[in-house]
Amino acid sequence: MDALTKHWLNLREQLTFNEAALPSIKQAAHELYTNYGAMLLGYIIEVVKDRPVAEGYLADIFSGLSVGDIQYIAGTPDGSTYCRLQQYTRNKLVSFVNTVDDCADSPDNVTIRGNRLIDLMTAEQQLVFCGVHYHGKSVSSLANELNKTSDEIRQILKQSFNIIRSNRK
Amino acid sequence: MIQQYINSGILEAYVTGCASESEVKELLRMKAEHPEVNIALKELEADMEFLAQQMAVTPPLSTWGKISDDIDEIMLREKRELQQFKQPEPKQQEAPGTGPTYIEVEGASSHMRIHKAWRWVFAAVFILGKIFLGFAIYFYLENRQAQKQLQKLETEIQQLKR
Repeated sequence: MDALTKHWLNLREQLTFNEAALPSIKQAAHELYTNYGAMLLGYIIEVVKDRPVAEGYLADIFSGLSVGDIQYIAGTPDGSTYCRLQQYTRNKLVSFVNTVDDCADSPDNVTIRGNRLIDLMTAEQQLVFCGVHYHGKSVSSLANELNKTSDEIRQILKQSFNIIRSNRK
Repeated sequence: MIQQYINSGILEAYVTGCASESEVKELLRMKAEHPEVNIALKELEADMEFLAQQMAVTPPLSTWGKISDDIDEIMLREKRELQQFKQPEPKQQEAPGTGPTYIEVEGASSHMRIHKAWRWVFAAVFILGKIFLGFAIYFYLENRQAQKQLQKLETEIQQLKR
């Protein structure tokens, strides 16, 4: 167990719903913000395609974190804290996600295409990866859209991850 | 079999949050039973973090200030609600013949808290202490001087008597 996980576990112990624990909630939110705020803002910008709006969402997400949310995001020793925070954000943005154009529908959108990793993906891989990651689409809906089987969509998604990994290592 | 499952793309779907409920259930079971699945998942989460780091955009400095203010406001509201719904504690009935009940007031902490008014008392004690010390030094020196003069006078008287 690394030091950060231990720290989060200690913090989780303090996070019980009572008056005395309220400053701990703020402290926990601040630590999440310090560690992942920039990464999350980058993600939200890609979802909403508007920086000031994304900053507003970022503030709303961190202000709205409850004790239970923080316990789930930061206090779970297994897995990535960032991924849980991103999942939480995705759920909060679900209403917005459906109103945003797809990557393929907005060819003039340079935000995602300006990213080195996304640029390395083929058009089809971008469509699947962005559809799932930024637009919250399900595998089955993408399969219907692209006239492919769910297995094929998952394989395309896997290929997208392979591209990211080959650049990570 | 496990490798086939890892290569199926279900893990990627899970990490991006687009796996179905049954897929999530199956994945959690597989993760618990097979460490290879857990390792593969951790790799995918690292990929997601890497992508997020690549696309990170630093928020303006004022953003945390706004969040902090919002949290403070929520805290105050919750505090008020807690106080509003707090039940008044029922008064303890004294059992007949048992006499008064005493409450243990000694806390576990070795520190104590006192009223701010005491700082003036401590300041006064400190200043008075300094004044008394000054007087003590003054009278000690005076006394030493007087003793010396007395000794001198005694010597002179003895010399005159001779």
